[in-house]
Amino acid sequence: MTVEFLGTLRGLSYLAAGMLFILSLRGLSTQESARRGNLLGTVGMGLAVIVTALVFLASVASRDTSAPEAAAAAPTMAMGLLAAALIGGGAVGALLASRVAMTSMPELVAILHSFVGAAAVLVGIATYLQPAAIEEHRTVHLVEIYVGILVGAVTFSGSVVAFTKLRGIVGSRPLMLPGRHALNAAMIVGSIVLAVMFLDQPGADGLPYLLIMTGIALVLGIHLVMAIGGGDMPVVVSLLNSYSGWAAAAAGFMLSNDLLIVTGALVGSSGAILSMIMCRAMNRSIWNVVFGGFGAAPKAAPSGAAAPAGKINETSVKEVAEQLLGSKNVIIVPGYGMAVAQAQHAVKDISSLLIEKGVNVRYAIHPVAGRLPGHMNVLLAEANVSYEIVKEMEEINEDFAHTDMVLVIGANDIVNPSALDDASSPIYGMPVLEVWKAGRVIMLKRSMNAGYAGIDNPLTYRDNTYMLFGDARKSVTSLLTELRG
Amino acid sequence: MSTKVGIPKETFPRERRVAASPDTVQKLIKLGVEVSIEAGAGVAAGFPDEVFVEAGAHIVPTATALWGQADLILKVRPPSLAEIDLMKPGAALIGFFWPAQNKALIDRLSARKATVLAMDAVPRITRAQRMDALSAMANIAGYRAVLEAANHFERFLPGQITAAGKVKPAQVLVLGAGVAGLAAIAAAKSLGAVVKAFDTRAAVREQVESLGGQFIQFDFKEEGEGQGGYAKEMSAAYLAAEQALIASHAERSDIVISTALIPGKPAPVLLTSGAVVAMPQGSVIVDMAAEQGGNCPLTEKDAVVEKYGATLIGYTDLPSRMARQSSELYAMTVFNLTESLFPKEKGFTIDLEDEVHRGALILKDGALMWPPPPRPKPPAPVAPKAEAPKAVGAGHGAGPAEKKKGVGGRVAGAVLVVLLTAAGLAGPPDFLQHLTVFLLACVVGWHVIWNVTPALHTPLMSVTNAISGIILVGGMVVLGSGAGAVANVLAAVAVLLAAINVAGGFLVTQRMLRMFRK
Repeated sequence: MTVEFLGTLRGLSYLAAGMLFILSLRGLSTQESARRGNLLGTVGMGLAVIVTALVFLASVASRDTSAPEAAAAAPTMAMGLLAAALIGGGAVGALLASRVAMTSMPELVAILHSFVGAAAVLVGIATYLQPAAIEEHRTVHLVEIYVGILVGAVTFSGSVVAFTKLRGIVGSRPLMLPGRHALNAAMIVGSIVLAVMFLDQPGADGLPYLLIMTGIALVLGIHLVMAIGGGDMPVVVSLLNSYSGWAAAAAGFMLSNDLLIVTGALVGSSGAILSMIMCRAMNRSIWNVVFGGFGAAPKAAPSGAAAPAGKINETSVKEVAEQLLGSKNVIIVPGYGMAVAQAQHAVKDISSLLIEKGVNVRYAIHPVAGRLPGHMNVLLAEANVSYEIVKEMEEINEDFAHTDMVLVIGANDIVNPSALDDASSPIYGMPVLEVWKAGRVIMLKRSMNAGYAGIDNPLTYRDNTYMLFGDARKSVTSLLTELRG
Repeated sequence: MSTKVGIPKETFPRERRVAASPDTVQKLIKLGVEVSIEAGAGVAAGFPDEVFVEAGAHIVPTATALWGQADLILKVRPPSLAEIDLMKPGAALIGFFWPAQNKALIDRLSARKATVLAMDAVPRITRAQRMDALSAMANIAGYRAVLEAANHFERFLPGQITAAGKVKPAQVLVLGAGVAGLAAIAAAKSLGAVVKAFDTRAAVREQVESLGGQFIQFDFKEEGEGQGGYAKEMSAAYLAAEQALIASHAERSDIVISTALIPGKPAPVLLTSGAVVAMPQGSVIVDMAAEQGGNCPLTEKDAVVEKYGATLIGYTDLPSRMARQSSELYAMTVFNLTESLFPKEKGFTIDLEDEVHRGALILKDGALMWPPPPRPKPPAPVAPKAEAPKAVGAGHGAGPAEKKKGVGGRVAGAVLVVLLTAAGLAGPPDFLQHLTVFLLACVVGWHVIWNVTPALHTPLMSVTNAISGIILVGGMVVLGSGAGAVANVLAAVAVLLAAINVAGGFLVTQRMLRMFRK
């Protein structure tokens, strides 16, 4: 095989891989085509890896013959390393994928982002260590490397913090350092200054600057994500998703590899769009999420004028069961509380039972329910709920008025009416599920504690709202027993 | 000494309801009161004395004994003068009362220093919905009216195609889409009839249509919504136009259910004698307004008559014809009002600041409290209200932010273009080419991702996780370029991490997608 032929083959297969990735994402636009989409993505990836491996082997082989005086151990070592890394990484990934619980998907996604970030940093440094590869147009290449490492490092440390927050290793409350905006600004300015100094260094002498900058970027990533409250995690995770794409694209620029650029750009825009969707769903700008420190201690009594403190109607499992059986239309609104309590299977059993008895049961999913975009959908899918009865907010919000009963399971802020009618509320303007328009609302809650936003929910005091206190799973399970009995 | 609550047997002719059910008796006792029930009070409603005893009530053999001992009487119909004379001085009474029509009763009760709360005067506000006895009864009456009509209608309601021939569905016309009207629409619809509904209030169109009824639009410049959500009285010209429109629809209707009432006034004539004559032979009219004179002048109160080939039903006791259901629901509304009169740790207390108590209060210890001082107008109709927050938002919150974002976006875009142009000019030619590829890919990504269904956002993230593992290729390129040992190890670690992503991402996506099923 000649080198030219390999070059053409590589170009063609990269093009094909890029197309396959695009088709893969396109496949996700409907449930029917989603699995095929994932398959196409896998094929694209396999193609890219195999062809790159061929090129790799060819170049190793050619170097072997053309430069016999070179250390013969180096290519062998490279080959060994590659094989070990591919097999090891693949095995770890497969293990992770088969073991992870669906409720832990946010953590898995976060940690995978961190790997991409770390890989970008490592590739960047490794590239810099080969002065030969970056002689032409040195400045441009150096900038590419610098930026790639910067983005990669922020992605890496940010994702690790997001992971620890989602795991609960670190508390979900935002960390508010005094003068944190100044701190962020100083770190960014510092990185720029270092960049100027770094560009002046000949050969690989700029390495110390590069490493210092990496350190700063790591701190920046940690600091940025530490300042974000637990409820904003869907936005942060999508934002990091976007960063990981940009990091891959940057690596593509430094290696002049179009496939990396294309893929990185796809992933980057995907994450950016997800962040936008999440922000819209909370009626907040991305700046507000990243720098706002939302979810901190609420300002004293945000809803001053119409303090809704009032009578709470409590209900019992028995009553709810009777009412459910007497209803024609029921909508279930799951929230993060359902995920925490792992109640999705019991909830599914309730909905199937009701459907069997001729009740029209549907699920209403708010875009930011849970800790990951689409988190609730995955949990319900895991519990075998048909996706045809799982509706998005826009699809179902109109229907609450014609619904007999709504079960709100472990959700709070996404059903808070003050988002629509109380201009002083911190979540004012956020689109919410208008559950109160239904005949009767049952809220399953652990206690009267506020949601992550720390605001009182006037829904709990409505006349047609009934509270069922207790752990979501226990309540749901006893409700199921009651319905069966 | 705990309050004694008494529930007498209703004495009004044909009244079969009772103001308590075994369920509410239990609840009342939980409030800390003693409950006595006149012997046989619930028999007509399907609650024999034993079930009340089981629920914890005492049975009092005679009306005299019951009225004489009770501090609080729960009733359905207004008391008769004879009953008032049995009442313990200073006692309280809750029930339907119709104060505007019952001046004589008010005087007699006032002399007894009685306290009276009228279920029909409970204000129609959201908080008081669970005490809204009128709606609860109207709902039953509307349902029953359809059944009475169906009973006298000698044909099928649903359309059918049988071996013996085709049956057309019955045409039902409902006049007035209040609670009773809506209940009638729902009942007629579920029996398979084709339902049309008429109401002067255009706002109820949506409710009619939500029940599957067809709304008859009436264009005449006069708004029909009065205070408290009831229809108000209209001018003569208006009425004539209305009658003409109704007549034109009645001509093609097999069943007419009329429910139009104006509070404190005789019922409006909607269905004229002429309209009845024009209706098909064998058609049925249920005039639910018969008690207030009827929506049709041919109706006879409490009777079924046949005129001009149509059957006219003028029952005024429709809820009593379903006494068990009505008693259960009525008892619940009475209990809900009573419960609010017994605040925690206190005995019977009327809170004059409470809009519900104040509205329902007719007499307080003999002093006339009715009508209550006027309340502020009902909240503005839904449409402007829904718009209001939006307008506020545009003024103070979202608007400027959005605008800023727009401008900021354009500025950022311009800066980006300048920077990219500069980079393109200064940089190597292949940089420009990479940039082109990059930007095109961003555009493609942008369009493709917006199409992703929100339900699949988590799988989307894990797929993008997997494909961003393409950085693996980057690591391989570095490894293959014959770099030093340090660079090789770094690159190998990068490959390792990226490989985790690739394998983990694709496999977990596959696992997730396999769960999504119809």
